[in-house]
Amino acid sequence: MSEKPISSGHSRRDILRFAAASAVGLALPGGISAASGAPVAHDGVSGPLRSAGVLTFGPNNVLFVGDITGATIHAFALRDKDLTSQTDLISGNFHNFEGRDHIVGLDQKLAALLGTTIDKIVINDLAVHQPTEQIFLSVERGRGTDAIPAIVKVNHGQLEILELDKIPHSHISIPSEPDSTAMLEFDPQQVYAITDIKCYNGELFVTGITNQRFASTLHRIPYPFNSGMATCTVEIWHPVHGEFETRAPIIRHVIRELNGEPYLFAVYGCTPLVRFPLSALKDGTHVRGDLIGELGYGANPLDMLTFTSPADSKDYLLVTIDTRSASQIAVSDLASAPAQPTGGGIDFGPGGLGRTQRALPIKAEHIAILNPKWAILIWRHPRTTYRLDLSTLALPYFFERKDGMSEMNWPNGPDPFHYREHRNELGNQ
Amino acid sequence: MKSLALPTFISQQLIREEKLGVCQPRLQVSSDRSPHGPSVSVCFLAPDLIAFLTSCARPNELLKSVFRVTVAQVPSPEGDRLPDVSGRYLLLEDELRFIPHFPFERDVKYRATFDPRPLGAPLTAESLNREFFIPSEQEAPALTEVTHIFPSCALLPENLLRFYVCFSNPMQRGQALKAISLLDSDGQPVADALYRPPVELWDRSMRHLTVLLDPGRLKRWVGPNVELGPPLEVGEKYALEIGVGMTDLYGRPLSESFRKHFVVGDPVRERVSVEHWKILPPGTGSRQALVLIFASPLDWALLQQTITIESPDGLVIDGQVVVDQHERRWSFTPTSPWVTGVYQIRVGPGLEDVCGNNTTEAFDRPLRKGPNLVTRINGSSLIFQLI
Repeated sequence: MSEKPISSGHSRRDILRFAAASAVGLALPGGISAASGAPVAHDGVSGPLRSAGVLTFGPNNVLFVGDITGATIHAFALRDKDLTSQTDLISGNFHNFEGRDHIVGLDQKLAALLGTTIDKIVINDLAVHQPTEQIFLSVERGRGTDAIPAIVKVNHGQLEILELDKIPHSHISIPSEPDSTAMLEFDPQQVYAITDIKCYNGELFVTGITNQRFASTLHRIPYPFNSGMATCTVEIWHPVHGEFETRAPIIRHVIRELNGEPYLFAVYGCTPLVRFPLSALKDGTHVRGDLIGELGYGANPLDMLTFTSPADSKDYLLVTIDTRSASQIAVSDLASAPAQPTGGGIDFGPGGLGRTQRALPIKAEHIAILNPKWAILIWRHPRTTYRLDLSTLALPYFFERKDGMSEMNWPNGPDPFHYREHRNELGNQ
Repeated sequence: MKSLALPTFISQQLIREEKLGVCQPRLQVSSDRSPHGPSVSVCFLAPDLIAFLTSCARPNELLKSVFRVTVAQVPSPEGDRLPDVSGRYLLLEDELRFIPHFPFERDVKYRATFDPRPLGAPLTAESLNREFFIPSEQEAPALTEVTHIFPSCALLPENLLRFYVCFSNPMQRGQALKAISLLDSDGQPVADALYRPPVELWDRSMRHLTVLLDPGRLKRWVGPNVELGPPLEVGEKYALEIGVGMTDLYGRPLSESFRKHFVVGDPVRERVSVEHWKILPPGTGSRQALVLIFASPLDWALLQQTITIESPDGLVIDGQVVVDQHERRWSFTPTSPWVTGVYQIRVGPGLEDVCGNNTTEAFDRPLRKGPNLVTRINGSSLIFQLI
């Protein structure tokens, strides 16, 4: 039925901590055990979460978590003790494009840690706390109404559960229905599925889709949270569909300042790349975005990020896609790209910046930038597809040499990239 | 944090335990009515061991190597170590208790190991081992089946936007893409007809799943529509098949697959005309239902929440909604009797028919020209008067 987690040995992890407020923590310093046996009320590692979805970091070590079941964005202000620097970790051999596995069998290990079987583990997102390079995962144990959320961090290859009930927290509710002026006291069956959250200049930008109306909505929320929230609907020209679309959801977005002006760049299913000036995203408005690239039909984007290339020091946009190679586009082109003409005939693309996109060999379920030279990804190696691994991949080519069967990898083969001169040059930067 | 309602059960699945007297240390799985459910304990610990542990500066570091709980499993082909189950320890009078951070799952086999040897002489004793599991609830609900698929009508418009699939028990995510398909009259899957959303679209109870037809094929003159045609063809017979591969909350497949058979009729490309609804008013002073009859079927889920009734003094009144007659009838039974005066029937802007047409405009409509993008989707209202 299910693939069981597998093990041949033991481990002693620094994961089971005495909570300061736990009965043990209280009983031990006094040297007297609690005779009543009354346990503390709750273990609370999930804290206020009802589900664990999209993750993103903001300034001051704040970790934002999208909670679809709770229809809430949570902000956890991580304390110094919640973060452990990982900058001493070796990411691989950068010159030779040889990454390293941080965790082999990530899903197997999460199942063991959460006391379950591998089929019950769902990894919803991956985020990196840039100053410490610590990796955070949003995980759920279970796939139904009994699913238990957890935020898990990686500490030198070991998995540790964040005890969320002890971390300073604030939250804001997301209306599940943008026009909820008319609601009876019935069970609101409508769910607003949060597809992405990004933090920019003291504000969160939250995109999503509802299960009933299929309407594309963008919320703009100041942080620290107050009652303020601006909600707008967005519209794009979609050349593959030859139509203005108001309903297709933004699946991923990033915010970048270009020429002193902040923009939100969004990707949709099937796969338009759209530019919105932030100044246009005001409460109650309906905004038409500029379609600047059509990345190709029949695909769904998985992740969207920007990185600085260690090769030419230029910034690039990266979009990973479920059915084919990832797309790379120069950030400098994002501002200058002309909006594609609207109202024309059907164009299956690629179009606009899609014509000059570079295909990158990334097959990842989740990807994030770890540090200036390395990305971190959750993926399945073709030879070990029964498990997920957490591995590094060298920027800017996202190429893993040790998986290659090319002639230059043979001992006596040609060596045009001087791999042999750089053997064993392991480093993290 | 959600906790499972675990049964009050003391595991008797003792596979290997040292034959010790009742006053010797032993591993015991205890049912516990506290929110965190069952735990596993080393009982009958000697007072000097308890005293030693309480005097330790960092007992946690010690305990996690002495008293370990793991998921019992076959060895890894990688020879790689798996973490122990995450949890915390409670030190009681003569007992050391392990409480998992996530409640023990039913039917998962765990191994508890207590090995006091790292504590050193004179506390050395043989290690204790025990495998245990919490069995499934005795009374598992009946096998899960599909109870309804909406729209319930057997004649559906060519530009149908969505189905709602209703299950008799809560379900698990992750199977819809594989298990749900649209079949043609020969029983063959229709390619690219259903939309692949970024997340499966379940309601909170996880009993209702939204399945969308590809909007790109529904809109005329849109690329996929021109290239592939609409997902449904007028006059043809189809079936939406829900395969047994859908998994319920208890990890079980459906009792049987389910097919909703339907025939495709003409498309509906006009707004929902609220002004053409038929109102059957209730009797004054009664708690009879107010009934609205629609010209064509409206969206089953949106009907539950987008229509409200305001009393003569302007307050939204409480009551029960029933939708039936193939989503062409909406009945509202108030909790308090109707009084004389003018009632407002408020129709929220979210209301749509089965094709996604709303009260302001059709889903599939001509392009809007010019810079003014705002087509405000307004709500509407009707009135009725009771005398």
